[in-house]
Amino acid sequence: MSSTDIGVAKRPLEKAISHLSDWEGFLLAVLVLTIIVNASMSDVFLTVNNQINLFQLSIEKIIVALIMTLIIINAEIDLSVASMMGLAACAFGWLFLHGVPIGLAVPIVLLIGVLGGAFNAFFITVMGLPSLVVTLAMLIGYRGLARVLVEDRGITDFPAWFDALGQQPLIGPFPLSLLIFFALLAFLVVVLHFTGFGRYVYMIGNNKEMAVYSGVAVNRVKATLFIASGAISALAGLLFAARVGAVRGDVALGFELDIITMVLLGGISIFGGRGTLFGAIFAILIVLNLRNGMALANITHHLQTGVIGVLLILSVLLPNLRSMLRQFRETRASARS
Amino acid sequence: MSKYFGMTEALKDFSLDIHPGEIHAVVGENGAGKSTMIKIMTGVYQCSSGEMLVHGERVLFHGTGDAQARGIAAIYQEPMVFPDLDVAENIFLSHRGLGPFVNWRRTYADARKLIARLGVTLEEDRNANGLTLAEQQTVEIARALSLDVKVLIMDEPTSSLSAHEVEKLMGIARTLRAEGVAIIFISHRLEEVFQIADRVTVLRDGRLISTRPIGDVTADGLISEMVGRDAGEFFARSERKKRDKLALDVRDLTLDGVFSSVSFNVNEGEVLCFAGLVGARRTDVALSIFGVRPADSGEIAVGSEIVRIRSPQDAMKLGIAYVSEDRRKLGLAMTMPVVANATLATLRKYMSKIGLLNRGREIEMALRYRRRLNIRTPDVDREVGDLSGGNQQKVMLAKWLDAEPRILIFDEPTRGIDVGAKAEVHSIINGLAESGVAIIVISSDLPEVLALADRIVVMREGQQMGVFDGETATQESIIRLATGQSSNEVAA
Amino acid sequence: MNRWSLADLSPQALRLLALLAVLVLVILFFGTQIERYYSARMFNRVSTSVAIMALIATGQALVVLTRNIDLSVGSIVGFTAYAVGGVVTRYPDLNPMFAIGAAVLAGAGFGAFNGLFVAYARIPAIIVTLGTLALFRTFLVEYSDAKSIITADLPEWILALPRTNLFSIGNLDIRLTFAVAVVVVVAVHLAVTRLRIGRKFYAVGSNPEAAVVAGINSRRIIFLAFVACGALSGLAGFMFLSRFGNITVVAGLGFELKSVAAVVVGGINIFGGSGTVIGAMIGAVLVGLLDASLVRLPYMSEFWREAILGFLILAAVAIDSVLMRRLFSWRQSRKERLQAQAPFESDGRGG
Repeated sequence: MSSTDIGVAKRPLEKAISHLSDWEGFLLAVLVLTIIVNASMSDVFLTVNNQINLFQLSIEKIIVALIMTLIIINAEIDLSVASMMGLAACAFGWLFLHGVPIGLAVPIVLLIGVLGGAFNAFFITVMGLPSLVVTLAMLIGYRGLARVLVEDRGITDFPAWFDALGQQPLIGPFPLSLLIFFALLAFLVVVLHFTGFGRYVYMIGNNKEMAVYSGVAVNRVKATLFIASGAISALAGLLFAARVGAVRGDVALGFELDIITMVLLGGISIFGGRGTLFGAIFAILIVLNLRNGMALANITHHLQTGVIGVLLILSVLLPNLRSMLRQFRETRASARS
Repeated sequence: MSKYFGMTEALKDFSLDIHPGEIHAVVGENGAGKSTMIKIMTGVYQCSSGEMLVHGERVLFHGTGDAQARGIAAIYQEPMVFPDLDVAENIFLSHRGLGPFVNWRRTYADARKLIARLGVTLEEDRNANGLTLAEQQTVEIARALSLDVKVLIMDEPTSSLSAHEVEKLMGIARTLRAEGVAIIFISHRLEEVFQIADRVTVLRDGRLISTRPIGDVTADGLISEMVGRDAGEFFARSERKKRDKLALDVRDLTLDGVFSSVSFNVNEGEVLCFAGLVGARRTDVALSIFGVRPADSGEIAVGSEIVRIRSPQDAMKLGIAYVSEDRRKLGLAMTMPVVANATLATLRKYMSKIGLLNRGREIEMALRYRRRLNIRTPDVDREVGDLSGGNQQKVMLAKWLDAEPRILIFDEPTRGIDVGAKAEVHSIINGLAESGVAIIVISSDLPEVLALADRIVVMREGQQMGVFDGETATQESIIRLATGQSSNEVAA
Repeated sequence: MNRWSLADLSPQALRLLALLAVLVLVILFFGTQIERYYSARMFNRVSTSVAIMALIATGQALVVLTRNIDLSVGSIVGFTAYAVGGVVTRYPDLNPMFAIGAAVLAGAGFGAFNGLFVAYARIPAIIVTLGTLALFRTFLVEYSDAKSIITADLPEWILALPRTNLFSIGNLDIRLTFAVAVVVVVAVHLAVTRLRIGRKFYAVGSNPEAAVVAGINSRRIIFLAFVACGALSGLAGFMFLSRFGNITVVAGLGFELKSVAAVVVGGINIFGGSGTVIGAMIGAVLVGLLDASLVRLPYMSEFWREAILGFLILAAVAIDSVLMRRLFSWRQSRKERLQAQAPFESDGRGG
C-alpha cells in the first residue's frame, strides 16, 4: 500500500537496473566474460592506453552511433551516415587540394553535414517520405558526391599538425576524437534523458500521430535529429581523415550497418520509443572489447563481424525464448490445476 | 445448440447456452470478462478447465481457424480488415478448401451475392482502406456469413456507429436470426439490448450473474446487476447557471469537399454538443478548430478576437484543447508511463529555461490528477497501456486539463468505457463547465448528448442542420434532423 | 472518355504504367545522348546485368510485402556464387542443372535460417538480417579461406551461359539468363496474384493483426517469404558467378540496399501490403539501366553516376508519393461529387 500512496514505484535508476537484468543481462555476461578472457590473454589489455587505443580504432563509428541512438528511438533511421562521413572527408580533401586553409575548410565541411541532414529532413518531414527510403537513396547519393569530388585519387599530405590532431593524445592520454566522444556522450545523455526535447523524442517514437495531436512540434524534433546526424557524421568524417591521414572515395564505406548493429545490440527498439543511451554505450563497449579480444586471438576481422552478427540475434533471441518458455510453463501449469 | 463452460482466471465458473435463431445479449462493465469469453469461443485462448459443446459435440479449438471450421466467428468493435485488399478479397481470403487458385470472377460474384443478402450497398471491388467503420463491419459480417456461420459474436459492434448505421446493423442481425444463426450481441448501450435481444446475460468480475429472457428485466435492474450497486442517476441533467461571455465564435467555416458553412458559438461555462451520424463530419470541424486540418475559409474568433489557427500549437496557445476519440492512436503513448503521458501537452511548464525537466514536479502533477480524477493506478510510472479503458481516458483528460484550456473539445468522451467511468467523465465535464470552461462535446450517444448539452448542433454530411436547446430537444427531433428528414418529408 | 477509363484503373496499375512510361522516357533520353545506344550490345549488356538484380529484387519484394526486410541477400548472393564456383571448379563435369539446383537450395537454406528467427522466434527482421548479413559473409570468408574463384578455372559451359542466346528479335539477342529471370519474375507475380497462398503475403503485410484473427498462419507466410527470397538470391548468385567469373569475398556486397532501392522505386510500400512484383522488376530494370547508361554519357565523368542515381531514386519516390496523394484526394472529391447527387446512398467518411 505504501507504494500506492507515494505513487511512484521505482526510481529511474532502479528501473534501469531491472531493465538491465531483463534485456541486457546476457550482454552484461558477455562483456564481463570478454574482459576477463582478454585480460588473462594479454597483460596490456586492461591498461589505459590499450583501452584508449580500442576506442580510437572505431571512434568515428561510435560517435555516429550516439546520434543514431536518438534517431532510432524516434522511430526513424538514417542509412546515409556513412556516406555523409565519406562525403565530408572527401569534401575536406578537395578543399585542401584547392588551397582552402584548414581553418576554413572544417566549418565548410560541417556546414555540408548540416545541409545534407537538412536535405534528408526536408523529404522526411515536409514530403512525409519514410526515412528508410530517403536515407537509402542518399546513401547512394552522398557517396556518389564523395566520389565526384575525389574521383579515384587518394588525397594525403595534410599538414602534420592536422594528422597529429587525429592520432596523438591532446589532453593527458586522450586524443581529440575521444574527448569529442565523451563530450558528445555527456551532452546527449542530458538531452535524451533529462530534457523536454528528449521526452519528445521518446513520445514521438512511441506514437507520432498522438504527439502531433498533443501539440508537439514533431517535424521540428525530427528535423533537428537529422540535421544533427548530418553534422555529427561530417565531424566523424573529418576525424577519420585526420586519424588516417588520407582521404579516398570509399572512406567509411558500409559503416552504416555496423553503426546500426551497435545501436540495436544496445537494446534500442527498432520500432522506436524504447531504449537508452546507456544501453548503446554498453553495446559499444562489448563490440570494442570483443573485437579487441578476437584480434588478440588472431581471429580475422570478417569472423569478428560474424560473431557480432550472431550476438545481435542472440541478444534478442534469448529474452524472447525465455518469455516463450515462461508462457509455455504457465499454460501447462494452469492446464494441470 | 451450442453450450460453453469455461474457466480461466478472468472468467470463473461461467456457463452459457445459445440457441439457433436467437439473439443473446451479454452485458457487463469493462473487465467483466466479456472479451475473455469471446477469445475462448473463437479459439484465440484455450480455457483451462470446463468444456465447450457445439451441437452436443465436445470441441477443442487450437486457433481461430478451428472455430471458423465449426461455424463460430466474431466481429469486433474495431473491425479487422486488410486495408490494401478489396472488399471481395477481404471476405474470402481466409477461406479453406477452395483449392490453390483464386477464382477472381467467382470471388466477386459471391461477394456481390453476400452483400446483397445483407441488404446494403457496397462495391465489392473497392479497396478497404477507403471504407467507413460501418462498411468495414459489413465486410466482416459478410466474411462470417460466407463461412456459413452458426454462431456470430458481435463485440460492441455499434459503439462507433451512428444511429442510422445502428439501425442497418440491427436489420442485418434480424435477418441472420431469421436464417437460424445464433448471435451473441455485446453492447454497452442498453437501449439496443432491449431493442434486439431475446435473452440477456449479465457478467460481473468474471462471473455469471444472470441469464434471463429480455421481457423479465428492466434497464435499471440490468445496470444494478452490472455494477453491483443501485443504478442511481447516471444520466441526470445537472443544472448550470448561464453565463453570456462568448468564448468561441465560428462563422461560415468551410473545408472544401468535407464540410461547409458551419457557424456556431459557445459561451463560457456552456456545454455545446455536436450530434449527428458517423460521416456527419463533426470530427473534421473539431480538427479544423484545433489546427490539425485548417479550414479553407470562414472565421474563428476566440473571445472577441479573430484568430488564425494553422497548427495544434496555435490552438493550444489560444487555450483550445481537443480530447480525441481514438485513445490508442491519437490519445496516448501506450508503452510510456502515466506521468509522461499526462505532462506531454504542457511539458514546457515542467522544463527549466534551458529545457531540463523537473521530474519531481511532473510526478507531483500526475499525483494531483490521479487524486482529482480518481485514476486507478498503483503508481504513476506504470505504463498507461496497463490501465483499463476508463482510466486511460482519465489520463488523457489529465493531459488536457493541465493545459487549463478555456475551450475544451471532447470527441466521443465515453466511447468504449464502462457505465461507472462514464458517470465519472460526465461529472468531470459538468464540473469544468461549472468553473467557466467552454465545452464542446461530439457524441453519437444521444442519451449522453441530452444529459450534457446546454445547446445541441446537429450536423449531417458536412452541413449544419440546426441548433436545439438542450432542455427541449428530444432524441426523435435530433435523429430526424441528423438523417435529413425534415418534418415535411416525414409528413409526405 | 479516355481520361475516365484511365482514372478508374487501380493505383497499382497506374503506377505500373507510370513506371513503364518513365522507363521509355529514360531510354529515349539516353538514345539522344549516347551514340549507338540502341545497339544490340548495349541491350545485351544491360539485360544480363539487370537479370541478376531483378531476381534479388523479386525476392526482396516478397519479403517487403509481408512487412519485413531482408538485408542478407547480398551475402547470400556472394556465398552461393563462391560456393557453386568452388564446386564446379573442382568437378567441371557436373551437370549444370545440379549446380543451379545447389545454388537455389543453398540460398533457400539461408532464407530458412532468416525466416526461422523472424517468424518463429519473433525477432524483428531488420535485426535478424543485419546479423546474418555479417554471419553469411563470414561463412563465405571462412569457406573461401580468402582465396578467389577465377574465370580461368571455371568450366566452359558456365562461362558460355551468359552469352547463350535463347532467340533473337532482329539484332536483339534474348539471352538465356535474362529470359530465365523474366520467366521467374512473371511466375512469382502470377503466384502472388493468382494463388490463394500468394494473396496471404499481401494480407499479412497489410494488417498482421487481422491476419491472425482471420486464421491465416502468418508465421508460415513470413517464413515462406524469406525462403523464397533466399532461393531467388541463390539463383542470382549462380548468375553472378556465370556473368563475372571472378568471385572474391566481397561478391554481392551492397546488393541488399540496392535491392531495397529497386523494390521501393518499383512502387512496393516499404511498410508492406501493397505493390506488385512486376513493379519491383521494372524498378530493378530502371535502376540497372540508369546505372549502365550514365556511365556512357560522353560529357559526364563516370564518377557522377552514383550521385545522380541516388538523387534520381529519391526523386522517383517523392514524385510517386505526391502523385498518389493527388490521385487519392482527386478520387475522394469525385466520390463526394457523385454522392452529392445521390445523398442517401452512403454515409461518407469520418465522424
